[in-house]
Amino acid sequence: MDSQTLANLHQLLDQESDLREKIRDQVNDFDKKTRILVGILSKIHSTRSESIPSLIQTARPVLYSCSETIVELASLIPPNQFWRWKDMWCNSLRTAVFAAALFEYLTNGILISLESTSNVLGMQDRWKDRVNLSAEDYLHGLITMVNELSRLAVNAVILGDFEQPLKISAFVKDIFSGFSMLNLKNDTLRRRFDSLKYDVKKIEEVVYDVSLRKLVSKDSSFQAVKPTSNES
Amino acid sequence: MSMSSSIHNQFLLFRDLLDDYHDRRERLIKASRDITNISKKTIFLLHRLALEAQDASARVDASKIGLKKLTEVQELYADMRDELAGDQYWRYERQVSPGLQEYIEALSFAHFLEHGGLITYEQVQATLCGADGIAFFPLTISDYLLGVSDLTGELMRFAISGFGRPGGRTRALETCIFVRNCKSDFERFTPYVWELHKKQVVTAQSLSKIEDAAYTAVVRTSEFDLPAEMLDDIVNQTVLIYSTNRRNLEREVDDQEHSNDSYR
Repeated sequence: MDSQTLANLHQLLDQESDLREKIRDQVNDFDKKTRILVGILSKIHSTRSESIPSLIQTARPVLYSCSETIVELASLIPPNQFWRWKDMWCNSLRTAVFAAALFEYLTNGILISLESTSNVLGMQDRWKDRVNLSAEDYLHGLITMVNELSRLAVNAVILGDFEQPLKISAFVKDIFSGFSMLNLKNDTLRRRFDSLKYDVKKIEEVVYDVSLRKLVSKDSSFQAVKPTSNES
Repeated sequence: MSMSSSIHNQFLLFRDLLDDYHDRRERLIKASRDITNISKKTIFLLHRLALEAQDASARVDASKIGLKKLTEVQELYADMRDELAGDQYWRYERQVSPGLQEYIEALSFAHFLEHGGLITYEQVQATLCGADGIAFFPLTISDYLLGVSDLTGELMRFAISGFGRPGGRTRALETCIFVRNCKSDFERFTPYVWELHKKQVVTAQSLSKIEDAAYTAVVRTSEFDLPAEMLDDIVNQTVLIYSTNRRNLEREVDDQEHSNDSYR
């Protein structure tokens, strides 16, 4: 190679590594935000259901602030290179999806759609070749939420809330049947899907316990099986 | 209990997306294996032809035959073009990369036989373009460097196995210089391309094998104050006499066995 060729290749590689550094800075920022979110959300296990809405109110601005980082990322990524860099932030993004999905469940009792999650995170269609929410990341976020809900089922009972496990059970069963429709290959999504059945089992045991001991009144159990359906 | 219909519909969509992803991934892995296969065969083909090639023009011919074989690979890439369009290339980079590096290795070997130099990044990218001049996918510098880095191993084989042939000693010396330059040029890229470090270790091993051969060439030539071609001739004469004698000997043994047969 002559010195010009060497210099050219070197320069291109330098540009790539500069870009990587810049993305890493944003990802660190993203990571900080999602850790704050996880910190706040871990309090749901010790919060009575009537105080949950105010807990979510304190966390919501943090979730919305993630969209600022996502806009920054979109401005850094070159066109068509979404898949090249996405692994750098997918952990943070999945955590953000988890938070958005948990908010939606705790507020409205329904499953947030991929589209709504994208909107909450400020994803824009015009830069979807640079940053977007892939189905895979969304599904990973949902699994994290189910993992968390299986704990919430137990902890709600500790706090004397016997209806929450029934609500969670119906909700999680829907998600589980959704996942069962997918043809998963032997990848991380598959392994994490395998963990879902333990969550379902754990939730079922809690439902079994509270039902047999007649800790839930008949009306409320009816409500729990049919979660507030403001989805159409 | 039936699943709520909106969840059902969403997951139906995810199923299609995931199926499409997995199917495409499988197809690309298969194509990549085929590409690796053709490229490896081309490398063997080039070795065979280069070994027989006595002079530069014969090596150019060998290179041409190898390049023709590699058009099969280019056709496969042309077929993959749509699957890798837009942002999709980066999604499947890991599936495409191994075959691509093998192809670059074969291509750079053919290029070396013809020009005696290293194929450039732009020249490699130019072979992966449609008739419209638009690249099938963006060639990464890392694939280029890792592909041409494997060339040094092939050149070691080329230098050593051709060593005993006429002109082989001179070629070993030339190859030695070329591989040494490759090693020193690639060194500065190792912080950027992490697998390149391992390849450099292999290049160093190949280089030292060629250096040992080149050393032998120089020492032996210096012992006899004759031009290299004459030394080759002397060796060839000896080989020729030996093999003629052996053939005669074999014939005698054969005849004897035959005559033994007739006594039975």
